[in-house]
Amino acid sequence: MSRRWTRISYVPGATWLHRMHPVVKAAWLICGSVGVFVVRSPWVVLGVLPALGALWGCLSPGHVRGLRLAVWTSVVLAALQMVFHREGIQWVTLGPLRLTDAGVRAGLYVGARFLDVVLLSYLFVLTTEPNLLAYGLMQVGLPYRFGFALVTALRLVPVFEKEGETVYRAQLARGVAYDRSGPRKWLVFARQFFLPLLVSALSKVDAMAVSMEGRGFGQYPRRTFLREVRFSHGDGWAVGALVAVVAGLVVYVVGV
Amino acid sequence: MISLRNFSYRFEGAEAPVLRDVCLDVAPGDFLVVTGPSGSGKSTLALALSGFLFNQYGGVATGSIIVDGLDVGQAPIYEVAEVVGLVQQNPEAQFCTLTVLDEVAFGLENRCLPREEILTRVDWALDVVGAAHLRHRELATLSGGEQQRVAVASMLVGRPKVLIFDEPTSNLDPPATAAIFDVIARVRETAALTVIVIEHKTEYLRRFEPRWIRVDGGMVAEADRPPMAMWRAVRRKGVDGAGRVGHGDTVARLDRVSVGYGGGWVLQDLSLSLNAGEFVVLMGDNGSGKSTLLQSLVGFLKPVQGRVEILGYDTQRTPISQLARYVGYLFQNPDHQLFGDTVWEEAILAPRNFGMLDDGRRAEIERWVERVGLQGREADPPFRLSYGQKRRLNLISVLGHAPRLLLLDEVLIGQDPGNAAFVLTLLRETADRGVGVLLVSHAPEVVATYADRVLFLSEGRVVVDAGPDEASVQLAALGCWAYVGSAEDIPQRLADGGEG
Repeated sequence: MSRRWTRISYVPGATWLHRMHPVVKAAWLICGSVGVFVVRSPWVVLGVLPALGALWGCLSPGHVRGLRLAVWTSVVLAALQMVFHREGIQWVTLGPLRLTDAGVRAGLYVGARFLDVVLLSYLFVLTTEPNLLAYGLMQVGLPYRFGFALVTALRLVPVFEKEGETVYRAQLARGVAYDRSGPRKWLVFARQFFLPLLVSALSKVDAMAVSMEGRGFGQYPRRTFLREVRFSHGDGWAVGALVAVVAGLVVYVVGV
Repeated sequence: MISLRNFSYRFEGAEAPVLRDVCLDVAPGDFLVVTGPSGSGKSTLALALSGFLFNQYGGVATGSIIVDGLDVGQAPIYEVAEVVGLVQQNPEAQFCTLTVLDEVAFGLENRCLPREEILTRVDWALDVVGAAHLRHRELATLSGGEQQRVAVASMLVGRPKVLIFDEPTSNLDPPATAAIFDVIARVRETAALTVIVIEHKTEYLRRFEPRWIRVDGGMVAEADRPPMAMWRAVRRKGVDGAGRVGHGDTVARLDRVSVGYGGGWVLQDLSLSLNAGEFVVLMGDNGSGKSTLLQSLVGFLKPVQGRVEILGYDTQRTPISQLARYVGYLFQNPDHQLFGDTVWEEAILAPRNFGMLDDGRRAEIERWVERVGLQGREADPPFRLSYGQKRRLNLISVLGHAPRLLLLDEVLIGQDPGNAAFVLTLLRETADRGVGVLLVSHAPEVVATYADRVLFLSEGRVVVDAGPDEASVQLAALGCWAYVGSAEDIPQRLADGGEG
């Protein structure tokens, strides 16, 4: 059987990243992503990469679709910045292209920043059960109606993906040829594709509304939870570290 | 427990009421089986009894429905839901969470029960439906039968007094169907419930000696005897001519084909051929590879090993658009394959796309439209048709471009006996005109009445490939009792391991 790329999705595991409270991880993701945009030093942004790489290595998540693309994108971004940056001390000239010290710094900064955010996001997605994130958010105060909107979306995405594939195949079986049609015909096919999906979605919404209301959803402003997403001591340390990082960033921004 | 008095209901915008002057009394602990043709009002009755008809639809209701002293038409839906639970047809559509434990606990959490009580009741409900071993599974990984057990547990856990099942086995194979009805009977006994089951497969329910209620044209009446078994009714309306041998040229050939995805093999080393004019019924348990086989035949799935040919074209090398010219493919859900703005546009869609819509073809399609009873509806949007009408439209929509091979994936699901017999008769006639027909079905009666040949799949391999009579013998020898003889006897045969 041919090798299949793993979709970017949760990979069950028992690492400390897996065990970390999903809300704490989400906070790290948000603060980390903002942080690499706030910090203007390419060396700091670059320095984050080995740390993320080490985490990645510990997880051994295998091949992940899009990772190679992300790395190449960051390389291209860095290269473009380097060759088109006009300021700084000129090192090399190749026709209209010039390589300067400022260009190299800018390239490294942009490429590393992009890769930092992508790797952080991948680590979050690979180690966080989406369901647990939704329950975690509800248990720290997110109104449960919003929390279940997330859970429902998570549940329905693969269902609609499968249905979309069926509808597309049904179209092919009836002679629809997307690849051999002009834009106008393509739009007609696209409309024909979405109509059955819309009808199906409406019927699913009906069934789900019956199911949810039939089980008291929305009856009370609050609800209890069988599944408890608990904070551990490790989460306490992670929150402490995050507070320290955020404080450092604030000092850095104010100082700059 | 339940009392309906002169209850009528008309949906908003509809000309005629869907339920008329319904009077019905149900005692605590009663077991009702509601039968009737598709579109007769059975599901509307279920929605009315569970209160959703008044809560979610803007129709006009007259008369009264009292359940356990509660006026269902007036009471808030949450109060009704504590008394009446509704298990819908498709478990997948009613799940609100991602795991078994979360799903079964969902209703109790919403009602703010303490965690310890939730845990106790969830364990009890899973135990009653025989799903305790599924406790930590993700819903997406469950089979159809397992999903339905979880759906039942998620309603049972709220300890309603009435549990309504709306065609709970329509997507299940015979063994899973029999198992779910056993679960329903056990639930009724264990929890002392009043149970109402809407179902076409009445043969499975006779042994529970229920009260039989028939809904037809909105009228509800008690039947003094069980209705004719689903497939026996189909058989009575059937045609002669099954079991023929000596067919035309080969239209499809699989040579040592293996297909796999998601890390496992679905079809393994499979070799067979299908001939022109042959009506073949493809059987097998859920997950045995039937749909994968059909999808491989039209090139949607490419074999990892081996070779698939349609009229000599290798599906690996031929574009689907070219293969589709020779193949008609009918999917399971009628709504997934309605693309035209009108019934007529839908009927001519394929021949138009294939560039073969001439006057002769139009005239032939007009005859098809008339034959399936859709004359006068040509300008209507397809989604306005009833389920049975959509199915008939689906069928003529894949016949319009004169395919040489017809592939039909469980198209009899949800059909009442009348509609099913009509569709099967059309398929038999299509085969008799020289088209190869491959129909996925679980019903032995379909084989006996319409088929020339049976293919039985098990774990991706063909374990039986024979004419109807010989196939019965071979299936019996394999212990596949649910697929042999009359469906009426299936529960008994499954229960005694095939004796007799």
